[in-house]
Amino acid sequence: MAMDVIDYEIFGDDIQYVEVELDPGEAAVGEAGAMMMMQDGIEMDTVFGDGSSQAAQGGLLGKLMGAGKRLLTGESLFTTIFHNESSSKRRVAFAAPYPGHIVPISLADIGGTFICQKDSFLCAARGVSLGIAFNRKIGTGLFGGEGFIMQKLEGDGLAFVHAGGTLAVRDLQPGERLRVDTGCVVGFQPSVDFDIQYVGKLKSALFSGEGLFFATLTGPGRVWIQSLPLSRLANRIIKAAPAAGGRSVGEGSLLGGLGGLLDGDND
Amino acid sequence: MTNSFTALVFGPGLPVTGTPALLGVEGDTLEARLAGGARRLTLNLPTLRLREVGFGRRGIELAWTEADGEWLVHVLDPEAATQVTGLRQLADLSATAALLTRQRAQRRRRAMGWTTLAVLGLAPLLLLALLYFQADRIAAWAVQSVPEDVEARFGRSAFEALRGGLSLRDEGPEIDRVRTLGKQLTLGLPHRYEFHLAQDTAVNAFALPGGIIVVNTGLLQATQRPEELAGVLGHEIEHVEQRHGLQALAKASGWRATWALLAGPWGGSLVADAAAQLGSLKFSRDAERQADAGGFDRLVAAGIDPSGMRDFFRRLQADGSFLSTHPSGAEREQHLDQRVRQLGGRRFEPLASP
Repeated sequence: MAMDVIDYEIFGDDIQYVEVELDPGEAAVGEAGAMMMMQDGIEMDTVFGDGSSQAAQGGLLGKLMGAGKRLLTGESLFTTIFHNESSSKRRVAFAAPYPGHIVPISLADIGGTFICQKDSFLCAARGVSLGIAFNRKIGTGLFGGEGFIMQKLEGDGLAFVHAGGTLAVRDLQPGERLRVDTGCVVGFQPSVDFDIQYVGKLKSALFSGEGLFFATLTGPGRVWIQSLPLSRLANRIIKAAPAAGGRSVGEGSLLGGLGGLLDGDND
Repeated sequence: MTNSFTALVFGPGLPVTGTPALLGVEGDTLEARLAGGARRLTLNLPTLRLREVGFGRRGIELAWTEADGEWLVHVLDPEAATQVTGLRQLADLSATAALLTRQRAQRRRRAMGWTTLAVLGLAPLLLLALLYFQADRIAAWAVQSVPEDVEARFGRSAFEALRGGLSLRDEGPEIDRVRTLGKQLTLGLPHRYEFHLAQDTAVNAFALPGGIIVVNTGLLQATQRPEELAGVLGHEIEHVEQRHGLQALAKASGWRATWALLAGPWGGSLVADAAAQLGSLKFSRDAERQADAGGFDRLVAAGIDPSGMRDFFRRLQADGSFLSTHPSGAEREQHLDQRVRQLGGRRFEPLASP
């Protein structure tokens, strides 16, 4: 089915949102809860499943399947469709849920399919289908940092996914291999081979802090890497949170440790 | 076959993200028509290398080398990939055969991997189920290795612990009656039996490992003839002979250990104790049945009319007065009744009434 062609603009530096411009009659699908603001004339419609099958294949079973897949990827059962019912261009904005970057991906440019980590989908032109890609390689599933289930975006429109920290995009030549810390893979073209590799030395495995395995991405194709997986950020935050049993570290204020007593903010 | 398959082509001068193309049959060879229609690539069949690619390795890559470099055609859709390898132009290539062999081996390895994973995941459950259904057998096996003097010492210390709570009446004609009958029934048995009478109106009797049997006065009063008392004694002696006490203990501690193993630091000892208590509250139904059957044989061997056993259990069941440590049941009573009938009209010398 024909995709809606949408124009977009990304705002912000490290905590971003994307504003999508919809022509009259155009629509975008957004992850539930991702909407930030929208102009008059945009109607919101919540559908069961991913909203792509509306015209193509109806049927209760198809919808249930779509919804089940979304549940597997850890997203909500529903997606929200934002369509422009007015007679002029209107804008709707979607915000990233944590610090990082919003990645626009033109599916048409990369052969129509994009495989990404679950949970990273933000919004897309209507017609992009959200599916699951099941990782059949046990080792990669267990140790690759992305689990057995990844998300598959299909279509030829624009899709926006969200990555933590700073984003690196690499084009890999056929056979070229990139070793990546597990958890840092955002997504890749399906022509890329995603595998794991033992770090090689026992000493490194135990003490380098990189874990037992690297994720390896082998070309040809384009890969997207994030510098800061959310779990790593969350881990640091929990460790630093006195309320969660973490250690409070002085910020070097004039009052030093006393400042902590006086500012009344620690219980 | 005029099929064409969606493919991505990688090669010198093409974008590294691949160029969409259609792969189709062209006479004796295959051709990839790049999107835009500008270029047609003829695959160099004899030098073709095949490899499985894609997420989950369900697609195939057709690679060959030209003067300007290496060309790759990816067919990523699994179904299309299968169809492509089945094409007449490819089927004869040794590279295709090698690929198919590799795919089969990989499928086998993967299936084995998943099976291993599933078995590992299910192993604790299976073990638990095995433990549950074989608990009696495992306990019996464990008890075999306990020497008899240890068992006797254990029963003795249990008795000493219980003694404070019992008001024993170890003098008088009533205990003498119990002892006489007991001696008659335990003739030639390896355990050293001793019998005690406890002042308690509850209709109950119990046996400790090693041969200590305690009868309540309430039970004594509930019996109408000596054969009935003999029936109860036979039952209790059989518990001792078959070491049911140790078995129940082994089972209880086994469950406790299993619980600790499974629950780890989260399994409070309170829960463990409760579970163990529940386990040791009574002998299992099987143990009771075995004690009935063995006791019955013992009575017959000693020349005592076993119908007393049946009559007593029958009456208790009608009253509903037996304690929870001896669950009564219609099934038990029927069983005994059947055994009595099987004896036919066999005559037994009546025991002297007190």
